[in-house]
Amino acid sequence: MDQGIDLQQTFIQSLMDLGLPAGAAKTVWMPLPMLLMIIGATVGVLVSVWLERKISAAVQQRVGPEFIGPLGVLAPVADGLKLIFKEDTVPAKADPLLFTLGPVIVVIPVFLSYLIVPFGQNLIVTNVGMGVFVWIALSSVVPIGLLMSGYASNNKYALLGGLRAAAQSISYEIPLALAVMAIVLMSNSLSTIDIVNQQSGYGILGWNIWRQPIGFVIFWIAALAECERIPFDLPEAEEELVAGYQTEYSGMKFALFYLGSYVNLVLSALMVAVLYLGGWELPIPTALIANWLGVGETNAWLEIVGASLGITMTLLKAYFLVFTAILLRWTVPRVRIDQLLDLGWKFLLPISLVNLLVTAALKIAFPGAFGG
Amino acid sequence: MLKFLKQVGDYAKETVQAAKYIGQGLAVTFDHMRRRPVTVQYPYEKLIPSERFRGRIHFEFDKCISCEVCVRVCPINLPVVDWEFNPATKKKQLSHYSIDFGVCIFCGNCVEYCPTNCLSMTEEYELAVYDRHELNYDSVALGRLPYKVTDDPMVTALREFLYLPEGVMEPHNLPTNARRAGQRPEEILAQDLAQQVAQEEK
Repeated sequence: MDQGIDLQQTFIQSLMDLGLPAGAAKTVWMPLPMLLMIIGATVGVLVSVWLERKISAAVQQRVGPEFIGPLGVLAPVADGLKLIFKEDTVPAKADPLLFTLGPVIVVIPVFLSYLIVPFGQNLIVTNVGMGVFVWIALSSVVPIGLLMSGYASNNKYALLGGLRAAAQSISYEIPLALAVMAIVLMSNSLSTIDIVNQQSGYGILGWNIWRQPIGFVIFWIAALAECERIPFDLPEAEEELVAGYQTEYSGMKFALFYLGSYVNLVLSALMVAVLYLGGWELPIPTALIANWLGVGETNAWLEIVGASLGITMTLLKAYFLVFTAILLRWTVPRVRIDQLLDLGWKFLLPISLVNLLVTAALKIAFPGAFGG
Repeated sequence: MLKFLKQVGDYAKETVQAAKYIGQGLAVTFDHMRRRPVTVQYPYEKLIPSERFRGRIHFEFDKCISCEVCVRVCPINLPVVDWEFNPATKKKQLSHYSIDFGVCIFCGNCVEYCPTNCLSMTEEYELAVYDRHELNYDSVALGRLPYKVTDDPMVTALREFLYLPEGVMEPHNLPTNARRAGQRPEEILAQDLAQQVAQEEK
C-alpha cells in the first residue's frame, strides 16, 4: 500500500538534517497536530452551531442569524464571547470542587477522542492500534462528569438530569460497541486507518454502509443518544427538568457543556463517516481517477490534491450526518424515559447482537466480501 | 414456535412502520427548508395594519368639548381632561388633555363614545421609549399623525394575510393593484344601500 504524504516523517527528517537529535525533533513535531486538532474541533463546533441555527431556521421557515457577519456566521462566536464574559457563579450549597470538575471531565475525553480521527492516510494525530476502542472507552468517562455535575449542583433537576444522562449513556454504550465490533470483525483491526483502508478500492461500493446497513442505523441512533440530541435529549429535557444537569451552570462552565455536546456531535458524525462511509475515500476510487488523468498513483500533484480532497470528503460526510441530526431534531419528538430504555435494551441491543452474529457468519461464509 | 415467529414478524413490521413514519416526517421537514421564510423582517419589512387596527390614540384639541365621557367609559379613568369654565362664552375651555399609553390598554372605548369624534385610533404601534413617563402623551403629542408604512422608503410594506388575493400566501412581489380576497368595504356598503333602496321601493 502506498503511504502517500507523510508530513511527520518529512518534518522530523528536515529537523534532524538541521542537526537536532531524533527525540527532540519528534518533541517539536508532537504539539503541532494536537493544537491543529483542538483548533479544528473548536472551529467545527462553531460551524455546527451556525448550521444548527441556520438549518433550524430554514426548517421552521425563518431566516435565522443574518446580520452578525455574512449570513450570520459570527453568531456562534458572539455566543461564545457572551458566555466567556458572563459571571461564573457557584451555588452556595453546591460542592465547589465537584461542581467545577464536572464540566471539565465532560469536555476533556471528547477532545481526547479526536486523537484517533483520521483525515487521510497519515493525517491523524496518532494511529493507535486500539483506535475505535479508545473512543468508546473515552466516551464512557463522560457520564461520570455529567453525574458529578448533577450531584454537586445540589438541585433536584440537576440530579435527575445527571442520573438520566448516566442511565442513557450506559444503555446506549453497549449497542454502540456491538455495532463497532461488527465493523472491527470485518476489517480485522481496531485502528481507524485500517478500517478506512479496508473500505477503499471500490469507491462508494466498498463502503461499510452496504455491508453493515443495520449496524449503520444502530450506530447512528446510539451515537445520537450518546450526544443527547433531540429524540434522546432527556437529560436536559427543558419541559421537565429545566435544563437537567446544566441547570445551575452559567458562564464558562456552561460553555464547556455546550462546547462538549457539539464537539461530541461532530465527533460522532466523523466516526460514522470513518466507520461506515469510507472516511477520506472519494466515491470514485483514486486509482480510477489517476488512470483517467493518465498519471501514476504516486504522482505528487495527485497526492496533494487527493489529501485535501480527502479532508474535504471526511468533513462533507460528517457534516451531512450533522445535517441529518439537525433535521431529525425538528422531525421527531422526545421519547419518554421508559421508551428510551426500552429502545436501548429491548431493541438495539438484541438487534446489534444478531447483527454481530450474522456478520461473523457471513465472514466465515464469504471471506472475500466480508474481510476474511 | 409458530407463535414466536408471528411475534417476531409483527415486531419487525412495527419497526418498519415506525421507520416509514420517521421517513415521512423527515420528508416534511426537508420540504420546508426550500420554502421562503414566512417571518416579517421587522425593521426592513412591516405589515400594513388593518383599517380597524387599534394603535396609539389620536386627539383633536379643537373638537373636544371637555365632556369627560372618555374618562367615564375608560376602564381605569385614564384620560386627564384639564378644563376651566369660561364665563364669557359660558363654555368649558380645554387647557390640557393627556393619555398615558404606558397604562392604556387600547380598548377603544373612549374612541367609541366620544360625542364629537375628536378621538380616533391610529395605526402607530411603535411606542418603545427609554423612560415610561415618555409614554404620557399630552395634547400636542396626541395630535401628531403617524407615518404611514407604505410611505416609508426604508420599509417594504407587506400586506397582512387577510388582505392577499385569494389563494395567494406570499405577500412579497405582489402587484400593487392586486385585489384582496372577498369584497371591499365600499362594495359591501354599496350593496347594502342598493338593498335598502330596493326595499323602500317595495
